[in-house]
Amino acid sequence: MQNNKRFLLGMVLALSAITAHSQDDQFTSQPTRHKEYALVVYMGGGVGYYLAAGGTPNYLQPNISKYSPAYSLRVMWHPDHLIKLGVETGSITFLNYTAKDASGQTAKIRTTAVPVLIEWTMALTKRFNLFAGSGVYFLKTDLDYAGKSVSKKLSIGWMAAASFIQPVSKNVGLGTELKWMDAAESTDGSISLQLQLVWKFLRW
Amino acid sequence: MKYFFLTAVVAVFFSSCKRDFEPPVPVNDWSLFLSAPATSLPSFTRNKIEGIYTVRDGSILFGNQAAMKWSYTKTGADTVFQLSLFSPLDAIYIILEGRRLNNDILLNGYWRRNVNVETGKVRLTITAANGATALLNNVTADSIILSGVYGNTDEIPEVALSLKYLRPLRNNTGFEILAHRGGGRNADLLPASENSLEMIRLAAGFGATGVEIDVHQTRDGELILYHDATLNERLIVKNGMVGPIENYSYAQLDALVQLKRGGKIPTLRQALQTILFQTPLRFVWLDTKLTGSLENLRALQKEFIQIANANGRQLQIFIGVPTKEVLNQFTQLPAYRNIPSLSELDVPTTESINANIWAPTWTQGLQTEEVNRMQAQGRSVITWTLDGPDRIDKFLNEGSFNGILSNQPSAVAYYFYAKQ
Repeated sequence: MQNNKRFLLGMVLALSAITAHSQDDQFTSQPTRHKEYALVVYMGGGVGYYLAAGGTPNYLQPNISKYSPAYSLRVMWHPDHLIKLGVETGSITFLNYTAKDASGQTAKIRTTAVPVLIEWTMALTKRFNLFAGSGVYFLKTDLDYAGKSVSKKLSIGWMAAASFIQPVSKNVGLGTELKWMDAAESTDGSISLQLQLVWKFLRW
Repeated sequence: MKYFFLTAVVAVFFSSCKRDFEPPVPVNDWSLFLSAPATSLPSFTRNKIEGIYTVRDGSILFGNQAAMKWSYTKTGADTVFQLSLFSPLDAIYIILEGRRLNNDILLNGYWRRNVNVETGKVRLTITAANGATALLNNVTADSIILSGVYGNTDEIPEVALSLKYLRPLRNNTGFEILAHRGGGRNADLLPASENSLEMIRLAAGFGATGVEIDVHQTRDGELILYHDATLNERLIVKNGMVGPIENYSYAQLDALVQLKRGGKIPTLRQALQTILFQTPLRFVWLDTKLTGSLENLRALQKEFIQIANANGRQLQIFIGVPTKEVLNQFTQLPAYRNIPSLSELDVPTTESINANIWAPTWTQGLQTEEVNRMQAQGRSVITWTLDGPDRIDKFLNEGSFNGILSNQPSAVAYYFYAKQ
């Protein structure tokens, strides 16, 4: 827990420092010129917080790990109008806990997911963006109790996010993104705060 | 545009919430019924109460007629007898326990409309003058009148309900009223999980003479009761375990999985023991969802048929053959044509494996010609999964089936026992 707080503080400080040295008229998510198109990659990493409704059976005496690492990779097509389209993947941990059975034997259970989502985004201001998407989550359970089991399931799901992107150069920005990810099959949800590198790698 | 986008995101977020209905059962708190002087009813009294009744007060809810029949559940040395009332309306049923208090008979329980969550308490009395004296002395009563009240939810019941004995139940020696998934689905909001031991104990009270149960196999080869191919929150309490149930061992499922409406995933052995020793059920349809060999299933079927015979208990257990894949596995079994089986496939396939029972879906209609052909060969025909009072009534009146599998066995029970 203490390490997570330090990491978050470090992210905020790093963003602030870079922001102070950046320039206003460089990278932006808003349309620049008529008939100018670009592909933009967003690479993010940070901390996820498990925030789903419901939970594990009480008789298991679950000890849930709320914090976990979260990663995102997104490619968006930026056309010459406000709405943009793209795809996102990444890695997220949902329900992660230890439990005890009636005889006191410990079980470790972790559900992770790799999302593949179609996304829309719109820049509300030069720096502030909203994202929303839906698609599938490749869910995986790792269970360690009376032997190990790995089990997988495909789920539909969605995401919503808000990001603030500070330009670093003409094609690069650095941002912070607050993101909600939700998988329907396991009614799992996680909110994450990620530091994001944004790179407009192709323009035409 | 920006505001529209924001509003859409917020709307999706809040509309994602879903309501989870709880299966209600009112608290049994009739102090007179629970008082120390109240004693259990003799078996001859119970038998004489069974019958078709005219509903004199309360017909708005329960219809003009009802069928009343006893069932039981054994737990250790204790046997609990329950008197069920089956109504023609909306698969409504009442489940009561009976006691004698002085010269009266008290019947206490609850009613439930199976198509929604409506429920309430029921308290009925057969007074000495209304037949109790004769019933308690093993004498045929001139008339039997049950009178009392019913209510809504946990409120004190105040609405009048009275029933008058009309005629005996239609005799049932061979028609099977089968309860789906051990007694009913989770979607039916019953007070137990589908395919659980507790649900199986409830099935006879819903009017069933037998149950259909779904059989899967765990990674370590244990046969278990579970319907879906994967662990999911329709059937279990969320616990982080996802994916095919065959990926887990029985020890893992037993220790870590809780069924949605209570209880654990039972083994098939536990289920058959429950059916055999704790209920009056006489028919088991093993809906085979195994992907591999059926040898374990056949061995358990054979073992429990032998146990039933040794205990003088009439119990038929059939291996279901619902798909071509299961058919391929079934025909790998030695002497498969002599194995008690139930085929959901077409008539020629049913004949080729010499299945005892042909089980076509109700959506194929009455199929009178095929049904007659099967019956002429000595096979029974059971249709599935037939719900809705009107449809059940039609199939009973116009068809010639030997049984019906239903999520509403109480409705099948009414229309079967009330038919003259």
